[in-house]
Amino acid sequence: MSRAHLAVAGLAAALLAVAPLFLNAYQVDVLNSIGLYALLALSLNLILGEAGLFNMGHAAFYAMGAYTAAILNTRYQIPILWTLPASGAVAGAFALLVARPVVHLRGDYLMIVTIGVGEIVRIALVNDVFGITGGANGIFGIGRPKLLGFTIRQPQEFFYLIWGFVAVTIFLFLRLKRSRFGRALNYLREDVVAAEGSGINTDYYKLAAFGLGAAWAGMAGTLFAAKMTIISPESFSFWESVVLFMIVILGGAGSIAGVLLASFLVVGLPELFRELAGARMLVFGLVMMVMMVFRPQGLLPARERF
Amino acid sequence: MKQKFLTLVTAFALVASGAVARAADTVKIGLMAPLTGSWASEGQGMKKIVELLAEQQNAKGGVLGKQIEVVVEDDGGDPRTASLAAQRLTTRGVAAVVGTYGSSVTEASQAIYDEAKIPQIANGSTAIRLTEKGFEHFFRTAPRDDEQGRMAAQTIEKLGFKKAAILHDSTSYAKGLADEANALLKKKGTEVVFFDALTPKENDYTAILTKLKGAGPDVVLFTGYYPEAGLLLKQKKGMNWSVPFIGGDATNNVDLVKIAGKAAEGFYFLSPPQPQDLDTADAKAFLTAYQKKYNELPPSIWAVLAGDGFRVAVAGIVGAKSTDGDKIANYLHKDLKHYPGLSGQISFDAKGDREGEVYRVYKVDGEGKFVLQKL
Repeated sequence: MSRAHLAVAGLAAALLAVAPLFLNAYQVDVLNSIGLYALLALSLNLILGEAGLFNMGHAAFYAMGAYTAAILNTRYQIPILWTLPASGAVAGAFALLVARPVVHLRGDYLMIVTIGVGEIVRIALVNDVFGITGGANGIFGIGRPKLLGFTIRQPQEFFYLIWGFVAVTIFLFLRLKRSRFGRALNYLREDVVAAEGSGINTDYYKLAAFGLGAAWAGMAGTLFAAKMTIISPESFSFWESVVLFMIVILGGAGSIAGVLLASFLVVGLPELFRELAGARMLVFGLVMMVMMVFRPQGLLPARERF
Repeated sequence: MKQKFLTLVTAFALVASGAVARAADTVKIGLMAPLTGSWASEGQGMKKIVELLAEQQNAKGGVLGKQIEVVVEDDGGDPRTASLAAQRLTTRGVAAVVGTYGSSVTEASQAIYDEAKIPQIANGSTAIRLTEKGFEHFFRTAPRDDEQGRMAAQTIEKLGFKKAAILHDSTSYAKGLADEANALLKKKGTEVVFFDALTPKENDYTAILTKLKGAGPDVVLFTGYYPEAGLLLKQKKGMNWSVPFIGGDATNNVDLVKIAGKAAEGFYFLSPPQPQDLDTADAKAFLTAYQKKYNELPPSIWAVLAGDGFRVAVAGIVGAKSTDGDKIANYLHKDLKHYPGLSGQISFDAKGDREGEVYRVYKVDGEGKFVLQKL
């Protein structure tokens, strides 16, 4: 990363850190929403951007995490933030389980399978599977998160929790990107046959990317459950998976800065267009189309480094 | 290239922010509705009704000597968008909020309005738990889910049946309604001679009908959905068994008549009234005005209940002589009694639930039409 890039990143981070002091509750809450989507999109970026695996069922892993946290919290009174590892583990394990038989599929075939998985999870939640998901009404009364004896309640307080988690995620994912593991994923994306020829265990790395990305989405689900205090199947529809897919492609697959910028646009713009009421999604779709026409490679594409 | 793109984005942002209307001195009432998403038709209906009512009220001089401004926010029928919509409404100085449609969507916004001390009047949220959490500023014009069970028991009593059979289909909705009715019937001294479930989506229900007939009821209450209800009616007629059936609101669908054919005649079911069956002069005049303006009928009773929410909010502001949330909520809890709404009289109990009956009894006539019954 060059000095200029570092300066821009530092400035953006500093601006964001003081933003809650100047914004009202609604605007801070929009930033919270953006933060949650940034987390999810970063986790999908690992699968779709870095490893090139077309996953259009990411909402399923997000839902797994959110429901795990909600069930542990409401049934066993485990503080919500303590459920983070469990949510990550459940979502990751579920991803490994469903990805194992299909991970060798290429591109669009894998996409169709993941769409199916996403729908199965959503429909299972609606149908109150095992009698623990609360059916179409969802789960309510999830406890507020507590950190060092302080209860997080206001949007401003959630802002630091969510964006703190985003900061940790960016740091870890940047480290991962530069590691041997990250490079192996990039080989996979560029050419699976050549990667295998250079001695990379493709199935292992594909599964690892899936598991790690899903686990991270699961943890984002915990934060979502903690923030909303109620979760229901509508929050994990096919559309959510599409939006996440769109953020990663729009930002520039494999680029962390691009994914962050795209999260701001994809989640922020519909809020800017609120004045247009019913037509807001129409205008939003139009803007997305224009962006894709002008920047087909993504807003901030990842730089080549081979 | 980059320049062009940036110009475009900036242009859009400017258009969007320029659209903020700066109205002078008005009383703002918020409406949170699913204008987009899978419930969009309900949301659009809610918006049309509330805007028409606001227009009518403003023509009469508004409220507290000021014009009413309706501030509409889209909740997208999704809890996350709803929480943002609610946050945004709280920062826009609304005196009260009407909406919204789905229970989980409403739930995501409840705490936000309560903390901001803004009264919220939900219109389509029937889940029981919404009013069991002790929010001082939450009201609803919709009936609760357990209200239907009470109405079912009351209808059976009013129609003079002494021995009832209850049949459900094990879904949480149907089982809940069946349990509720069962407990109430037993309390009132009606004998429940049969209580069991059928398996939905089968083609032949003669076995369970034979079992039912063996129990010898005067009336059968079926709490499941219309496809099974239609088949039950058809096969009951095939068995030459003439016991009357009563259904819950999930049987309110024209396909029931398509499945059962002539056998549907005489079938009773409970449902909130259809908009066209609202019987007060006030409601009729409003429906005429609505049809004149929009050239259609309101999509459902839930949209009409949003209109009632708006009227109640106005009545609250007038009654409290203030736009202070605490005073409005206090007035709605204590002093608003038998307010003439479009869907009947409205009063709220201490929890914010609507008192009085919203459910009506319908009967299928010889031509397969649903006719409102007066009991």
